Amino acid sequence: MNKHIESVTEAVKAKFDVLNTEIVRDTQAAVDLKPGDVHAALAFLKAQGFRQLSMLTCVDWLEDKEFQLVYLLFDWDKGVRLQMRARLDRDNPKFTTVTNIYPGAQYYERDVHEFFGVEFEGNPMSYKQLFLENWDDIPPMRKDFNSRAYSDKKFPVREYKKDFTKAGDGK
Amino acid sequence: MGEGIIEKDKKLKEGWEGISRFFRANSLWMLMYCTGCCAIELPQAMTSRYDMERLGMGPMATPRQADVLLVTGYLSVKTLRRVIYAYEQMSTPKYLVAFGPCPINGGIYYDAYAVINRLDQYLPVDVYIAGCMPKPEAVMNGFQDLIDGIKNKTADGWKRYRDNYEWYRKNQIESLGELRIKDEFHE
Repeated sequence: MNKHIESVTEAVKAKFDVLNTEIVRDTQAAVDLKPGDVHAALAFLKAQGFRQLSMLTCVDWLEDKEFQLVYLLFDWDKGVRLQMRARLDRDNPKFTTVTNIYPGAQYYERDVHEFFGVEFEGNPMSYKQLFLENWDDIPPMRKDFNSRAYSDKKFPVREYKKDFTKAGDGK
Repeated sequence: MGEGIIEKDKKLKEGWEGISRFFRANSLWMLMYCTGCCAIELPQAMTSRYDMERLGMGPMATPRQADVLLVTGYLSVKTLRRVIYAYEQMSTPKYLVAFGPCPINGGIYYDAYAVINRLDQYLPVDVYIAGCMPKPEAVMNGFQDLIDGIKNKTADGWKRYRDNYEWYRKNQIESLGELRIKDEFHE
């Protein structure tokens, strides 16, 4: 593993209450934090050289009843990436915005709010619609959303008189 | 005497329409709405290898000056709203060519929550070009079909849209909720 990423991970471990660490690949590691520590950790890492928030995304752990936010940071000088992960309660998904640390998180928070329903307090822009217009169901990237049923309900399906799916068996 | 004039007038009108159809069919300006991956087949069809120009077709910049709307690929709900805007802005006679299986029955996006299944529910389609994606040969063949359709009056989508406007509008509202675009560029 990259020496720089090892030392940064150790520094995060020493400073914060780290639940778990994981090596993703040679130049990338993942750190699981408590939700309360995320902002302090991101500010700390930004000062360490991770100037870019490459991505903020969300994972729906349906069986654990949790959402996992993943902040992917990138260091342009060393060429290493670091994931900061935190789990939220699925029934009441609320988190505080990180736009004061990384202003580029604006659109990612809007995206996560639209597709997972996670609310980012302190970022009024995140409540605006981004991709989906006039959405009228639960957020579509949640695991319990049935895409097929929604599509069939909303968009008319073409009826075929002949069953083409059985053709091609050599007869 | 009077009937003779009406008969003559009718013949003249038919003749005139035949002449306009001939010129329309041989001078088509396309508006390319590159919604999906089928748009990548247009450069080959347009440039020297297949040379769309020999059919009298060329690209046009704005909907108001274009004759043919090319829907190249899948249509998301968001895009369909803009396509309807573009189609209604075009002046008649106007034609719509749908590329690939996605506007026919949804294609590989048949179960997607943001992609429509059938374009002909919302806008009248004159020619479908099958293939995922259609080869440039198929694209040229489809354009030839469109030209033949204009010549023998079968490409009459714009008339169907005018006559069944309520039905189309009802389907559009059912799937889209509201046609009005509300994004940060229209605030």
